Formats: sequence, C-alpha cells, structure tokens
Amino acid sequence: MAVDDVTFDVASSEILALVGPNGAGKTTAMRMLAGLIAPTAGSVTIDGVALTQATGSLLRQRIGFLTEAPGLWDRLTVRENLRIYAGLYALAAPERAVDRVVDNFDLADAASSRGAELSKGMRQKVALARALLHDPTILLLDEPTSGLDPEIANSVRRLLDERRAEGCAIVVSTHNLDEAERLADRVAVLQGRLLALDRPAALGRRLTAGRTIVRVGGEAAAHLPTVLAFDAGASAQGSTLVVTMPHAGGSVPALVRALVSAGADVLEVRPEVPALEDVYLHLVRDDSARGDVRG
Amino acid sequence: MTTIRLRTLFGKEVLDLLRNRAALLPVALVALISLVLPFTVAVIVPAMTGQPLGDDADLVKVSLVAGIHPELSAGGRIQLFLFQQFLLVFLLMPITGAMALAAHAVVGEKQARTLEPLLATPITTFELLVAKVLGALVPTLMISAAGLAAYFGCVALLAEPGVVRAMISMRTTLLMALVGPAAALVSLQAAIVISSRVNDARTAQQFGVLIIIPLTAVFVAQFTGALWLSATTIGFLGLGLLGVWILLAVFSVVLFEREAILTRWR
Repeated sequence: MAVDDVTFDVASSEILALVGPNGAGKTTAMRMLAGLIAPTAGSVTIDGVALTQATGSLLRQRIGFLTEAPGLWDRLTVRENLRIYAGLYALAAPERAVDRVVDNFDLADAASSRGAELSKGMRQKVALARALLHDPTILLLDEPTSGLDPEIANSVRRLLDERRAEGCAIVVSTHNLDEAERLADRVAVLQGRLLALDRPAALGRRLTAGRTIVRVGGEAAAHLPTVLAFDAGASAQGSTLVVTMPHAGGSVPALVRALVSAGADVLEVRPEVPALEDVYLHLVRDDSARGDVRG
Repeated sequence: MTTIRLRTLFGKEVLDLLRNRAALLPVALVALISLVLPFTVAVIVPAMTGQPLGDDADLVKVSLVAGIHPELSAGGRIQLFLFQQFLLVFLLMPITGAMALAAHAVVGEKQARTLEPLLATPITTFELLVAKVLGALVPTLMISAAGLAAYFGCVALLAEPGVVRAMISMRTTLLMALVGPAAALVSLQAAIVISSRVNDARTAQQFGVLIIIPLTAVFVAQFTGALWLSATTIGFLGLGLLGVWILLAVFSVVLFEREAILTRWR
C-alpha cells in the first residue's frame, strides 16, 4: 500500500508542502487528490463535494495538476499543446488563455517549437503553464521546480505566492526542503503515512525540545564551566553555547547574568530553530527505526 | 458529454498523425496494391496471355453469384465478379490500416507519459476513447475513400463497358458506406480496449491482428463464392455492427478503469 492513514485539509490561500523520501507516497497522494487514482479507503472532498467517478469531470475543471513528468506531445508545438488543453477544459476564449500563459511564462520564443525540441527545464515550464491555463482554484504540483534553473525556479515560487494571494489552494510535492520551508504555510512529512503536519517553525520546535543558543565573543569553551553550573547537559562549539533549557524558561536570564559577570561578551541569546531538513531527517529516520523494530 | 472535448482530442490525433506521416504509409501502400492487383488479374493478364476470362469455365460458373447481367458478355460478368470481390479489400483497408494506430492509442500515451496530464483534465473516458477511435479511423477512411474513387474510375476506363454501372448498386453502396465503416468502428474500438489493458504497444498489435481474422474469413468466403450477401442482409449487418460498436464503446469505458490505469501499468 503506497499511503495509509493520511488525512489533511488545505484552505484557500494556503500552500501545503508534501515532503518525504522516494517511495513515500507523495505522487500517489497527489494522484488521488487529482482523481486519477481511487483510494481503496477514504475520500477526497473539494468544497464539500466528494471526488468520485460521477463528480470527477466537474471537479477536475477546478484543478490544475502538474504531473511528475511534463507529458507534452512531442510532435506538437508548445502553442498546439496548450491550445489542445484549452479545448479539453472547454475554455470560452481558448486563444486568449493560451496567449496569457505564453506571456506569463515567457514562452513566446518557444511557442512554435515542438515538444521534442525543448530542454528539460523548458518542458517543465510549459507543463506548469498548462496546469494554470484554465485558472484553477486548486493547484497540485508534483516537483514544480525540478529541472529548472535557479532563476526560473525563483519565478515559479513567486508565481505560487501570487496564486496563493489570489485565493488558490496549493499542494506542492517536493524534495527541496529549503523550498518547502520558504514557500509553504504548512508542511506534511509523509512516509507511507503522515509523520507530521504543521507549520515549519512548529515542526522545528518539536525537534529542539526547547534548547537555547547563546553566542559569545571568542571561544565558547572558556565559558562552559559557568554554564555547566546551570545546565549539566550544556555544550560548546566555536563561539556558541548550546543550553538544554528552554529559552522562555526562568533560568536563562540568571545564566546570562552569570556569563556577563564572568566576563563573557554575550552577543546573542535565542531559541534553537533547526532547519526543516533536520526535522525531516529526524522524523523519517525515527519512523524507519520504528519500522525496523516492528518488522 | 461535450463535443468540444471530443473534437479537440480528435483534432490532436489527426494533427499528431499528420506530423508522423510514415504511420499512414502502410495504408497508402495497401490502397495502391488494391488498385493494381484487380486490374492485373481482370484486365492485364488476359490481355497479355490472349486468353479471355470468359474461356475459363470455373470463373464463368462462380461469377454467376454476382447476378445474371444479360447486358454484359461472359468476360464482362467475370470482370464484374472480380471487381466486386476486390471491393472487399477496400472494406478491410481502414480496419487493417488503422489497427496499428488504434492499438498504440492508449498504451502509446502511457509510454510517452502524456496519459496522466490528459486524464487530469475534465475529459470523460467515453470522450477519450471515442476520440481515439475516430482519430485512427477517419484518416485511414479518407485514404481508402480516395482509393475507392480511383478504383471506380479505373474500372470505368479499363473494364468492359457496362461493368462499372453494374457495380454501382444498393448492395455496393451499403457495403462501402455502412458495413465498412461500422466494421472498422467495431474492430478499432476493440483494439482500443486491448490498448488500454496491455503493457506495451506490441502486445496490443498482436491482439489486434486476431480481430482481423474473422473479417478475413468473410472476405475469403465471398471470394470463393461460398458466401454472397444480399443488399438487405448487408443493410442489417451494417446496422447490427453499429449497434455492436455502441455496446462496445460503453463496455470499453468500464474496462478502461480510469482510476486504476496509471498504477495497473507500473
């Protein structure tokens, strides 16, 4: 079974990032959301309407899906590819819709090129333009910046920001944790099942269990004996002291006073916020280890 | 069902085919061979050997199934019989020619990874499958129609006077305008079903060949004089085939299993 016991909701004007290792079920989850795979149990609901065979055609009109592979027709030009999709969405003004995405995605120079002639990045761009052709209110994007150069990837992220501001509900599957952290309102960590679902900062707090970072001038190790009097688990690395007590806790001001009295130049005191990558690795490895024990 | 989506996908199929004309080459070659072969048998060989067709007692006997036709000579009646029989090749042409296209239709999209974005659109399975069938059928039907027009033109020019007039009958019209396209629809719809159930285009084509076998048997039975269908029978046969196509089209939607097709093929 690719995914099991996965439940989440996405509001309009929200970006949810699905992250997880290869084979975690991200693409399967996206396909289920797009109505391409029927779940063996459970359901997908869009604005209170269950996605079924009977409602699929109508609901798919509102969904823009960027598939894992761009899936362009190689013998057809970019404009022909887009024009056919405009017809499949039965758009009232198909040519205008095609012109709009050609302009938005800066595809004018490639519009007459056939699919087979395009670079990987350009194919991805055309596929993205195709997903937005019918102005969907729900966007499902499977690895949207995969294969794109940094400049285009950045413009895609800006575009997603714009779509979110316009009220679009967006689900992005990505391996790029930095992108997920910067872009998403919430992050779902998937590994066959849902390991975590929260705002990136909240996920980070789960991992740190409330550690505090104290940065001092010079070598932190010189001040470690002072800190150990407050916290036996403290450690020093470079100019940083890591204290296992929470930042908001009552002992931190006393610790800082002690450090200053001992002659330390305290430059910064802040709660430890690990990168999403650290949280992700922790969650996935922890789940794998538990899986090994279960197995 | 909206015709706009059906027309759009049909248009894509035709455009794709026009960009890959080599795929239509076998149909054009069969059309050419179908034009040359009957005239070689009925006109060129008797002229070269100096032995008129009417001298062959077996041919005279078997040609009677095509009707009495007192306005024609014995040789003319045999020409009529032969040219009527070779008409069936034109009947089979859209089926054999389009079979490879139809067999490739769904599995080809899957292999090119174009099926997934296509299925993510509002297009219904029925629209998708009908567009695929028509996309394979219409171009080959047009080639065979052009071949047929050339065939009748050549019969008018090269055969005994009166043969072409005797060929143009209700029976021929029903055969060409109704039974041919209806049989092609049934065969291609079946090929599309196969294409949506197998893992690669070669397998689909192998199964597609099996569909042609019963049609070839009818052709052979007609040619040997063992089977001769009247205009009424042909009319009912055509209507029956259209009915079968509609049933098969509905059935193919169920067999397609849209919500399992992407994972089934992994």
